[in-house]
Amino acid sequence: MIEATQTATPPELKKITSPDGLALFRQELERRHDPNAPQILVCSGTGCRAAGSAAVVDKFKEVLSGTGWNGKVIPLAKHTGCHGLCSRGPLVVIEPGNLFYQRVSVDDVEDIVNKTILNNEVIKKLQYKPANSKEVIAKASDIPFYAKQTRLVLKNIGKVDPTDINDSILRGSYSALAKVLTRMSPQDVINEVANSKLRGRGGAGFPTGLKWESCAKQEGIRYVICNADEGDPGAFMDGALLEGDPHSVLEGMAICAYAVGSNRGYMYVRAEYPMAVKTLRAAIPQAEALGLLGENIMGTGFDFKVTISTGAGAFVCGESSALMASLEGKVGRPRPKYIRSVEKGFRDSPSNLNNVETYANIPAIITNGGDWYKSYGTERSSGTKVFALTGNVNNIGLVEVPMGISLMEIVFGIGGGIPNKRSLKGVQTGGPSGGCIPIPHLIPDINVGYGKLAEVGSIMGSGGMIVMDEDTCMVEVSRYFVNFLFEESCGQCTPCREGLIRMKEILTRITQGEGREGDVELLVEIGNFTNNFSLCGLGTSAANPVLSTIRYFREEYDAHIRDKKCPAGVCKPLFHYDIDAETCTGCGVCKTKCPVKAIAGEKKKTHVIDQSLCIKCMECYKSCKFRSVKIM
Amino acid sequence: MKVLNIVLNGKAVTAKMGQTILELAREHDVFIPTLCDSPALEAAAMCRLCTVQVIEGKWPKFVTACNFPLRRDAEVVTDSPEVRHGRKLIIELLMARCPTSPELQRLAVDYGCDLERFSPLNDDCVVCGLCTRACEAVTGRTLSLAGRGTAIHVDTAFQKASTFCIGCGACVQICPVQKISMEDVDGERRIILHGKIASRVKLPQCTSCGKFFGPLVDLKQVMERMGEHLIPPPNACVCPECSRRNLAVKLGKRYFEQYGVFEEEGQADAG
Amino acid sequence: MSGTACACQEIECREIEIDYSLLDKIIRDDYGGNKEAMIMMMQAIQQVYRFLPEAAVKYLSQVIEVPITKIYEVATFYASFSLEPKGKYILSVCTGTACHLRGSGGLTEHISKRLGITPGKTTSDMKLTLETVNCVGACAVAPVVVIDEKCYPKADIATLNEFMDRLNAE
Repeated sequence: MIEATQTATPPELKKITSPDGLALFRQELERRHDPNAPQILVCSGTGCRAAGSAAVVDKFKEVLSGTGWNGKVIPLAKHTGCHGLCSRGPLVVIEPGNLFYQRVSVDDVEDIVNKTILNNEVIKKLQYKPANSKEVIAKASDIPFYAKQTRLVLKNIGKVDPTDINDSILRGSYSALAKVLTRMSPQDVINEVANSKLRGRGGAGFPTGLKWESCAKQEGIRYVICNADEGDPGAFMDGALLEGDPHSVLEGMAICAYAVGSNRGYMYVRAEYPMAVKTLRAAIPQAEALGLLGENIMGTGFDFKVTISTGAGAFVCGESSALMASLEGKVGRPRPKYIRSVEKGFRDSPSNLNNVETYANIPAIITNGGDWYKSYGTERSSGTKVFALTGNVNNIGLVEVPMGISLMEIVFGIGGGIPNKRSLKGVQTGGPSGGCIPIPHLIPDINVGYGKLAEVGSIMGSGGMIVMDEDTCMVEVSRYFVNFLFEESCGQCTPCREGLIRMKEILTRITQGEGREGDVELLVEIGNFTNNFSLCGLGTSAANPVLSTIRYFREEYDAHIRDKKCPAGVCKPLFHYDIDAETCTGCGVCKTKCPVKAIAGEKKKTHVIDQSLCIKCMECYKSCKFRSVKIM
Repeated sequence: MKVLNIVLNGKAVTAKMGQTILELAREHDVFIPTLCDSPALEAAAMCRLCTVQVIEGKWPKFVTACNFPLRRDAEVVTDSPEVRHGRKLIIELLMARCPTSPELQRLAVDYGCDLERFSPLNDDCVVCGLCTRACEAVTGRTLSLAGRGTAIHVDTAFQKASTFCIGCGACVQICPVQKISMEDVDGERRIILHGKIASRVKLPQCTSCGKFFGPLVDLKQVMERMGEHLIPPPNACVCPECSRRNLAVKLGKRYFEQYGVFEEEGQADAG
Repeated sequence: MSGTACACQEIECREIEIDYSLLDKIIRDDYGGNKEAMIMMMQAIQQVYRFLPEAAVKYLSQVIEVPITKIYEVATFYASFSLEPKGKYILSVCTGTACHLRGSGGLTEHISKRLGITPGKTTSDMKLTLETVNCVGACAVAPVVVIDEKCYPKADIATLNEFMDRLNAE
């Protein structure tokens, strides 16, 4: 029996003591790597883990270690980061051949080993079929969800084992850092990044090259900080990057440190990402042991030490000055940014803070050049962006697309459209700081870019993209985001604190049927005030969801206030369900689904809802194939 | 030092590099209302009342005058309709929280506020942070801004009476709505905040006249800062008045012994 | 040195046995007594006691020389800290946007009603603490409920009832 030994560190490959040494190390790894050796790549991203993928890996290892191998190489079953197509998880990809299996449970593992691994037989029931078709697609790369993406920053995720640095090195990690340390000056690096026109991927879109340039000019000790406090609800791109390809981020930070003249890095990870922290806590020592981080990197005399710091449950700590206060062990209260953190940030010293995805883009920009990066995207928004596509869409998951792509293409081409035959009502980008874009009915389509999204009252944000269908109440969405910020605001400044209290008050009344004439005007007045007068970015964008929904969905507000009705059937006091006698076929599905037995009716006869029992849980509405349950 | 050309409400003036808009405005008798600002403390820009508009490039932006450092030639507008509208809202919102602030009441008249617009929140604090910042500047041991968002409030650790307070009374002095008070009762100084006792500080009793006087910890703090360590031992604990009187007697005795005349305190000098 | 256990069982009076040598290990050994790591020290302490006992906070204040009122400020600012003892099980309902759109609000409501507690509170028998959490990142399997770090994908009322029934039986 020959065991695949790709993951064991070969004894003769020790610490890398020169940049050329890294190339030799990689060559040795390539020599030992058999590209035709079967690998079973099991997605261990958060979504798949929640659906039970950890047990799937364990079962594979158990079954594979059994007897019956006649000198064949045992395939490697490895944990990988998020494959992206989360709605079909747990995902398994078998190489070579790129065979894609979805919704794999522990019970399927033996079959997969016996049939697919040993006999090259494909298990049809586990294969991918698009939402409205029976045609299977065998290869992952052929699935439209993946085929239509441009996976630059996500290129390693789903392919490497994040707990084994050799896997990452094999795919090129740290070679950009080696290039920088041997052939580029700090100014060369800054120029290349500036040339790429990369803009901050955390949301604000500040030109990265410019930020590095300003930091490099400062006097004193400089710090490189990575913002991994991804707090937007519905955004998990950074989490996936840290869990699936931590070395691309670490390498990006090291390159930045070299460029701005820093030796100290901090990675601030939110408390709700324990897996990311765990992955980093394993990855950093592995890199240090090989001389790729820490002291005297690759023997060049350049030091860069990275420390991990955790958040403790505060969305506002994603704001850069609040994050730095938190790094100092204090409360995460933003400070006014009239003096930028590149001048005075962490410990009152010059600090370069960038988002996880921004750093993850750097190695490829260095390796391939700024011109290469600019060949993707648009004039003002170069490169690609990773979005977390969630909500009422068929293909929920992580998508990486070139800037300038149309939103409709993302929702329908990649996202597979809206499930359950519903229609698209809008797309929300930028989380609680963003706005709802009313495509396609008010705005037929929009090309994704920083400026374009701002023009329609939203923002790029960190990448959360929430698809909303006709069953979404935009007033309730507005109330949801205001409530979120009400709880997350640090509370120190009047406009944000008091503005959110009052906006929440008004929106709650409206969704409970107690809206008053003049409420919308008051919301607009308070909203503009909060956006103009608040101290930090949380406050100055707090009213965006309110203002954008009022701008585009005014009729829903009017219906709530004047008619005391919720047309989307969400705000419980403002609607009820009735079964339409003309279209009801008496199939009885709604009756079985109802958790409180509020529906009565005989087979093939019109069913009726007892309003006194109905709790408006939406089960009957969602399950009726004939759309006979009407919102009244 | 570089001088900047600033147009302040249409008038051309000069400013020093890094000077705040508030400082500049005060130099030129331009009034900008403030609430959380204090000459004794670093600007916090929490109340946002001092917001003005500044135009450094093309577009005007809203900034707080108390801490915005002028670093380029610019135009400053302190009383535009947008600014006034924002201030009006700040006053209305803060008054709904705490209607008894005399400063806010005055401003409410000036800005034509509608004080019925927002339902009362029944708090006795405008969350200006002055008391906590003052405490931090003195010892930093008693008051802090606990909680977050709408639940933010001034508090002591675990909401219990602090044993670290030195009873200096800075918080009492600085509160713009006069909601912190101090009372000396039965040999104990109490700081009252939100109707609760926030700290208790023992008062020593004068061995001379029997009165309770300023907290020893406060005096100790002051003396340590002045570089002296003169703490009277407990059995010679004397209040400032008695201490002054004793010192005067001592000095008087010494003086007149030198010159051969002994005077009792209070007697007119005999030349 | 260790704290005393109060005889009465009132939540307020119940004192915890503090292991000061363990606190020393956390504060001095693991984090070098560094003030900047205070938040992580507090997280480690909370990991041990499942909340932040006042006595532990007092000790921390003495060792790293940070006023106790500042530590209290930090403990009340960050949502993951608790100054009250937690229940045996911690049930967190994700309130991220995807989960919210799939009805996680209804799940919270249901648990609140059934157990008579609001998010942030613990049942009187100290068995369960109900919390809400802002997005764990498993949006594809929304709505998500996390019970003691275990993720329950596509949670519904039936799953929750099952859990609460099992809890009652304990």
